[in-house]
Amino acid sequence: MAISDVQEYMHLTDEEIEQLGRELDAIRKEVEDSRGPKDAAYINRLIRIQRYLAIAGRLTLLVGVHDKRTRVPAAVTGATLLALHKILENMEIGHNVMHGQWDWMNDPEIHSSNWEWDTAQPAEQWKHSHNYVHHQFTNVLGYDNDIGYGILRMAREQRWSPVNLGQPVYNAMLATLFQWGVALHDLDIERIRKGEKDPKEMKRQLKQIFRKGRNQILKDYVVYPALAGPQWRTVMAANVGANLTRNLWSYVIIFCGHFPDGAMHFTEEEIEDETRAEWYLRQILGAANFEGGPLMHIMSGNLGYQIEHHLFPDLPSNRYGEISVKVKALCEKYDIPYTIGPLHKQYGQALRTIIKLSVPNSWTNSDKPEPPTPPQKRRRRSDSERPDRIRQLGAWSRGTSQERKAS
Amino acid sequence: MIVADLSQASRIRERRWVTQCALSRVCGCCAMSLERPVAFLGTGREVDRNAFHLPPMHVGCAEELRRTPGADPEWRLVTTSGFEFVRPDRDDPDPEPRFEPNSLVD
Ligand SMILES: [Zn+2]
Repeated sequence: MAISDVQEYMHLTDEEIEQLGRELDAIRKEVEDSRGPKDAAYINRLIRIQRYLAIAGRLTLLVGVHDKRTRVPAAVTGATLLALHKILENMEIGHNVMHGQWDWMNDPEIHSSNWEWDTAQPAEQWKHSHNYVHHQFTNVLGYDNDIGYGILRMAREQRWSPVNLGQPVYNAMLATLFQWGVALHDLDIERIRKGEKDPKEMKRQLKQIFRKGRNQILKDYVVYPALAGPQWRTVMAANVGANLTRNLWSYVIIFCGHFPDGAMHFTEEEIEDETRAEWYLRQILGAANFEGGPLMHIMSGNLGYQIEHHLFPDLPSNRYGEISVKVKALCEKYDIPYTIGPLHKQYGQALRTIIKLSVPNSWTNSDKPEPPTPPQKRRRRSDSERPDRIRQLGAWSRGTSQERKAS
Repeated sequence: MIVADLSQASRIRERRWVTQCALSRVCGCCAMSLERPVAFLGTGREVDRNAFHLPPMHVGCAEELRRTPGADPEWRLVTTSGFEFVRPDRDDPDPEPRFEPNSLVD
């Protein structure tokens, strides 16, 4: 069931939801007021580590592959170091820098407008498809293109078609070629198919993707292999391995953010006139965390704190851990579900949904949690208690509001 | 980007566009990626409150817009590296989304 009013779904009163909003504002303010040199040192250190990993990986491959005895270990070590570099750069650095999390530092390089990441998608297009489309319309059906990336059916509300039978295969392909899937994401192929995309904008985007993709291919599959001379095949294989590892890892992490059972979907009625507090609540209900130690969180770009990232996408990611303790306590206080579990369980649920939704709804049951029961017995409400916005009536009110506009 | 008159840039006051610029990090005027520093145009009151309503812009675009017929003569230009994007709350005395520069640059 997709939610059309988060406040009513959670049985929160106006006063309660506003109070929740104020408490989340206070968490935000505290981090804003306390960010400083320690945080700057964190991101600077990570950028340095990420660069050393890249240099070490490339050098190991260039030097180690010529001798027969060191060839295989060098290829494996080099690929591993390169994969670690790409994962760190894409997830903990690139993704978070492009959100503007580090803009306050006033650093000419570590800034949302300057960072270009080591993956096929141009940064500019990521900032549109991810920062805006996904973060503003999180889990809203028909708005958030991250619900299945235009390839997978991930919500029971999405109409089934026989094409969906191939989901397990599309899913495996998406995971393997994840950077290329992401590269095409902002093109919005569905809108192109429907002829809704401005051809000029499409041409500009395609040019950007072509240029960025070509540079990535040149770097990993032409220039560095060529530098290894006769051993170019080994270096190329190691680079394929590094890209594949990064693809699979980032795919798993991203799929754990919004596809586990606890992450809810919303209808467009929800986002009409949404207040800040309701926006916060939708972010909590639409996201899912996973558990792990500090290293695990760094290597997944702190997206194990997906709920906190969605509440505060532009606060420094190294703070999400401490923020999560407070958010969790708030969720307990207001009886709001806080979806969290070990990584394998969260991914297992996402995978189960992919497989289940490849067939028509009537063949399977929903795994989404039931709506919470109201804290007190339901009773008839007086007119003064009734919400003044008619969007609670769902599709019917949409029709009438359009008629109202027309008249 | 040359703005002939302010009506062409009228979407700079649309809530949807303002939100999109804030999150996608694009210029409210020319829709291209922002650059550091980011420019905000605001009245004296907005500058004093450190709460701006027009979307972030390129410095050049903001200067251009300020000279455009129909521009508010009160507008002042503020440049910053970063900003907070604040969504309005229910019963907010200020019902529009706003920007709070957090690292002013001269
Ligand atoms: Zn501009």
